Amino acid sequence: MDDFLTALVQIFAVSTLLYMLVGSVAGIIAAAIPGFTVTMAIVLTLPLTFTMEPLQGVAVMLSVYVGGLTGGLISAALLGIPGTPSSVATTFDAFPMARKGDPGRALSLGVWASFFGTLISTLFLVVAAPPLAVFAVKLGPWEYFSLIVFALTIVASLVGDSVIRGLLAGLIGLAISTVGADPILGRPRFDFGIEMLETGLPFLVVLIGIFAISQLLSEVENARTVRSGAKLVTDAIDFKTWKVMKEVLMSPVNLIRSSVVGVLIGALPGAGGSISNLVAYDQAKRASKTPEMFGTGTPDGVIASEAGNSATAGGGLIPLIGLGIPGSAVDAILMASLMVHGISVGPRLITDHGDLVYGMFIAMAVASFMMLIVSVLSMRLFLRVAEVPKWLIVPTVLTCCVVGSFALNNRVTDLYLLGIVGLVGYALRTLGYSLAPLVLGVILGPIAETNLRRALMTDSDPTQFLTRPISLIFLIAAVLSIGWAIRSHLKTNKMNGVKDANAS
Amino acid sequence: MNNTDENHSLEAGEITRFLSYVAILAASVALYFSAEHIPSSRFEVLGAAAFPRFVFAAIFLIAVIAIVDSLRKIPGHAWGRFGSEVQHWLKTRYLVIVCFVVFAAYLLLVPILGFSIASFAFVFGLQMILMPRKPLTLLVAVLVALVFSFGLNALFAEFFNVFLPRGEFLNG
Repeated sequence: MDDFLTALVQIFAVSTLLYMLVGSVAGIIAAAIPGFTVTMAIVLTLPLTFTMEPLQGVAVMLSVYVGGLTGGLISAALLGIPGTPSSVATTFDAFPMARKGDPGRALSLGVWASFFGTLISTLFLVVAAPPLAVFAVKLGPWEYFSLIVFALTIVASLVGDSVIRGLLAGLIGLAISTVGADPILGRPRFDFGIEMLETGLPFLVVLIGIFAISQLLSEVENARTVRSGAKLVTDAIDFKTWKVMKEVLMSPVNLIRSSVVGVLIGALPGAGGSISNLVAYDQAKRASKTPEMFGTGTPDGVIASEAGNSATAGGGLIPLIGLGIPGSAVDAILMASLMVHGISVGPRLITDHGDLVYGMFIAMAVASFMMLIVSVLSMRLFLRVAEVPKWLIVPTVLTCCVVGSFALNNRVTDLYLLGIVGLVGYALRTLGYSLAPLVLGVILGPIAETNLRRALMTDSDPTQFLTRPISLIFLIAAVLSIGWAIRSHLKTNKMNGVKDANAS
Repeated sequence: MNNTDENHSLEAGEITRFLSYVAILAASVALYFSAEHIPSSRFEVLGAAAFPRFVFAAIFLIAVIAIVDSLRKIPGHAWGRFGSEVQHWLKTRYLVIVCFVVFAAYLLLVPILGFSIASFAFVFGLQMILMPRKPLTLLVAVLVALVFSFGLNALFAEFFNVFLPRGEFLNG
């Protein structure tokens, strides 16, 4: 109870609320810009939180996250371009609805569905994370190592369109994490006498280079779109805020089902908002009495997609708080922000830093209310954001990336590293390697290595990984996840082959 | 882009991926053997070199599978067109190359000119390259460059106590 009250006081401090408000606005604005992902917004927020208290910093990042999950709907509804990958399914119905002359309703539907989706996922988080942590505390290094293997394989096999490249990306991430001093004895590794490599590759610099720089470079691939700013709806928009709220609440089954889909997918390592919005949309369509209306501007489609993607926020925090395993790149950044403050994230987080965990629960709820208020009051202003041209976005965000990379260690050499990592990230992105497994590999590498070596220091028999039941279950699940992904991949290839044959 | 062009481009993409697998494979072999120089420990079974070796061995294995899979997908005649496809790709991505070169120059100039001056030159210069040049956009570009160079520097120094590089140019 003391922890809860301490957290409550910290979150409801005026300065925290103000920072969260700024974070919420920044998240919505960032995600409203096509090509500017939620992950990128959070990466750029991280350096700004270094000087804050740990809970304050995480609360700000959560408000950027929650705001960002909603902001993507602006360009999805009005331009038909998903502002972020997590709002792809939103375009299916919100855009036709806007085209039919009801853009305000499309936006309001999305905002309310996002709000309820986040609240429902927070509820799940509060209920599920503590018992998971109690269970996780009992896990030994054998189980932990196997769990990380499982998390990495499932991320590698679920994200992107190639299992092989996903696995390679995850392994490259692990390889990057081995540069610098080893985590147990501090022996130097792979520094090749280069001073900048002696302390290892800083996670934040790798993250900014891999995600932000590569994304920004890919934004200027098409010279024609760089110079233009797309025009949004120019007529007056009626948001019908309260009428739409009732409309959303009148679809409780769709709302709850889509939120639960979002929570479950968010809790699964590797699968985030970019998958949940599509799955929730698909489930809503299957369950609908009028599935033929989906894709023509039906409110159920918008509700399903937006509730589904917003609910992943709470779902993703369940394994992070309960197990210390980030399920997505965004959760990895949240974990990194706590690590910067010297807080080790693992199952003992709840017992050692109860106030922080309760604070994260409260921050999620507060962030969802803030997102709602900010969206309802200032949606008209945010509509202009999607008009910001790329020629303005690219140079300014690149400068922010430089500041973010420098601020962590005040080292100029980190900037050179940023350039190199950014170029490698762009090459990998262009070649179709998914970047999320790579980032998770970088952050999970030292944890995996420490647990592997601890396990064998405790008992030198390596068969313990297979004879301890929970460890075995995780390893079997890892093999199954790869097998399942390869099977679906082959199935898709076969279907494409049949289609091609029919076409020719 | 018609269907044939698209197929040629996909084949060239697969060849590039194949080359990336070969590069990854070569790097994994080299790093696996360079791990031999990492000092071992008397206190534990594995030592500091074991985990990297596991990782590089796994990369080697997956890269071999990837190479075999990729070779299966590349038709024999695609190799002959690869050079011209790469040239075409580089031509269509000229803005990416220009942006990266300007960005790399900016990173190198930050410690010399200092954050504010280098950032102003970078933001303004890159906007000039990317934007449609009209009087209004020019004014916007100058203002944005000022905010994201001198403004950002002041913000970080005043509010976050983070002092961005002043530069040898100003110090000297």
